Amino acid sequence: MMPAVDASLRSDLLATSRPGGWEPVRVAAEARLAAQELPDASQEDWKYLDLSPLRKLSFRTAEVASPAPAASDIPGLVHPEMMATRQVFVNGFHAPHASCATGLSPGVRFFPISTASEACRLLGTLGEGAPDFFEDLNTARFTEGAVILVPQNVRVETPLHLLFLTQAQDGGTVPVVFPRVLVILDRGAELELVEEYHGEGTYLSCPVVEIRVAEGAILRHERIQRESLDAFHFGALRAEVGRGGQYHSRTVSLGGRISRQGPRVRLAEGAEASLDGLALLGDTQVADTHSFLHHAEPHGTSRQVHKCVVDGQARAIFNGQVRVAPGAQGTDAQQQSRNLLLSGQARVDTKPQLEIYADDVKCSHGAAVGQLDPDELFYLQSRGLRPEDARNLLTYGFAADLLARIPVASLRRALRHLVLARTQATSLGGLA
Amino acid sequence: MLSIRNLTASINGTPVLKGIDLEIKAGEIHAIMGPNGSGKSTLGKVLVGHPSYEVTGGEVTFDGKNLFDLEPDVRARAGIFMGFQHPIEVPGVSNAAFLRLAYNKKAEAEGRDELDPLEFDDFIREKIKLVAMKEEFLDRSLNEGFSGGEKKRNEILQMAVLEPRLAILDELDSGLDIDALRVLGDAVNKLMRPDHALLIITHFPRILETIQPQFVHVLSGGRILKSGGPELAVELEERGYDWVLEEAAAGDRR
Repeated sequence: MMPAVDASLRSDLLATSRPGGWEPVRVAAEARLAAQELPDASQEDWKYLDLSPLRKLSFRTAEVASPAPAASDIPGLVHPEMMATRQVFVNGFHAPHASCATGLSPGVRFFPISTASEACRLLGTLGEGAPDFFEDLNTARFTEGAVILVPQNVRVETPLHLLFLTQAQDGGTVPVVFPRVLVILDRGAELELVEEYHGEGTYLSCPVVEIRVAEGAILRHERIQRESLDAFHFGALRAEVGRGGQYHSRTVSLGGRISRQGPRVRLAEGAEASLDGLALLGDTQVADTHSFLHHAEPHGTSRQVHKCVVDGQARAIFNGQVRVAPGAQGTDAQQQSRNLLLSGQARVDTKPQLEIYADDVKCSHGAAVGQLDPDELFYLQSRGLRPEDARNLLTYGFAADLLARIPVASLRRALRHLVLARTQATSLGGLA
Repeated sequence: MLSIRNLTASINGTPVLKGIDLEIKAGEIHAIMGPNGSGKSTLGKVLVGHPSYEVTGGEVTFDGKNLFDLEPDVRARAGIFMGFQHPIEVPGVSNAAFLRLAYNKKAEAEGRDELDPLEFDDFIREKIKLVAMKEEFLDRSLNEGFSGGEKKRNEILQMAVLEPRLAILDELDSGLDIDALRVLGDAVNKLMRPDHALLIITHFPRILETIQPQFVHVLSGGRILKSGGPELAVELEERGYDWVLEEAAAGDRR
């Protein structure tokens, strides 16, 4: 029998209007959905992520928020650098009054997916591997999201901001949003993209991001998951990086009661990728990252640093799969999973997974789970910092280290402030 | 200011200090010299409360107070500072933010006004001139990726910010070229005041040409074998350590 969550998640699929010419893709997703249920621990990929809280809820499609919240009301969400290059979505609907795209470089397109044309025929076709339950749900029923197109050899100076806000009233059924994003960088194009999620109350957010970075193009992608602490977030990302192209992403996960990131990146010959992650968890939060980096062709380079700071009874999961395909000689892949446990009940499950089918490669991985380094603590104490301040400062430093290279200054500052607050380091004053 | 009586200490159960006696008064510069592995660094680290070392006997007072009653951070705020031989790297924490934090924690303890970021900016700009540090090092993470010499420069910068009454400098010259050593030595001299004291720990006498001690002690095997004035450092430069060790051994046999 189909679990209740499935029933309510599937129920109003046909009630919503569906944009675009993606019927074949949607029908295929629907067919797969019909044959599967909400994942449970019997599936290897979901072994550590307990979705039973979802089974107790019933869901509905989110409705237009009225009045729509203004992004300017929420601290740290307005970035002066991106005032004229942003698209804002509230409860899954495009919010034209909160958006502004007047600052785009010539030829660059950044628009709601509901107004997309055949230019978006790539949607649902990018990347490799079978979609999971939540990705199929998105494909079957997304109604809104964003498309970004950067033409050949255009280097976009101003970063783009993609903001998804969700506001849920507590009690009753739980609203669901399915943000959909398609990013196409033509040959030699260059772009910096900030993708941000924020919300209030209990809701389910299932975004899917598809990316094509063509030959020699460069995409820098900051992904900020600041969902409400009562929310559920299951995200999928698929990126294809062409010959000599570069894809650099950094995912910061702060919110969500249960959250999951599932980036899958395919590298062509000589392509480069970095796939960094930071999860800051407390209380009973659970955050899972299942990543797949595929060196499909020779001479690719990948770097992955995944950090988790886990407090309270929270739990972090990292499964980092790196595949070097047969013939992908000269691959250079490095992965590091570093985890800081701040309480006796916090937990981390980390699993690097290297699958190497070529012989002339340089691959390394490492995983560390631990407490703060006593030598570092003593060094700070020897400069007059109280033990508690020293601990908070080191915890902040461990996390903030990953933010240092975010090129958008206001975003970097906002995130440092959030990390300061989460590491109780605010009392130290003015560090950010 | 600092009074050490029959101090013994061990690491992992192995005795390293075997009965140290030393008096340091305000205005004095002392040098502790000795061969490698003699216990010189241990003495410094024990004085600032490094957790790896266990004090097994003896007594140390600072301003008449039992030093071992004070946690390391309390000792620091009371005015004791150690410039380490191998300073730790702390990624993610900017050097400037850390320096301001350390300054403000001490100011708070002394009932002085704390400095806001703008005030501190002016303050620190003067201090980095003293150690000839490039401004870019303020924005970098604390010691991260610094060369050995840059770390030493940063240690003396911290000393300049905290203005400790008792500074213990462990192997300041290691990792420094001759010009950098002169710059940092001059900086240390400028920071010295009549109510301050210095304890220089060094293997090589070279640094003592710039920072000139009134008292020189030779430490070996966890004991001070010989104490003297600056002329002792000159003699050590000329003759090495062996003769002191032999003299002490002969003394023991008598």
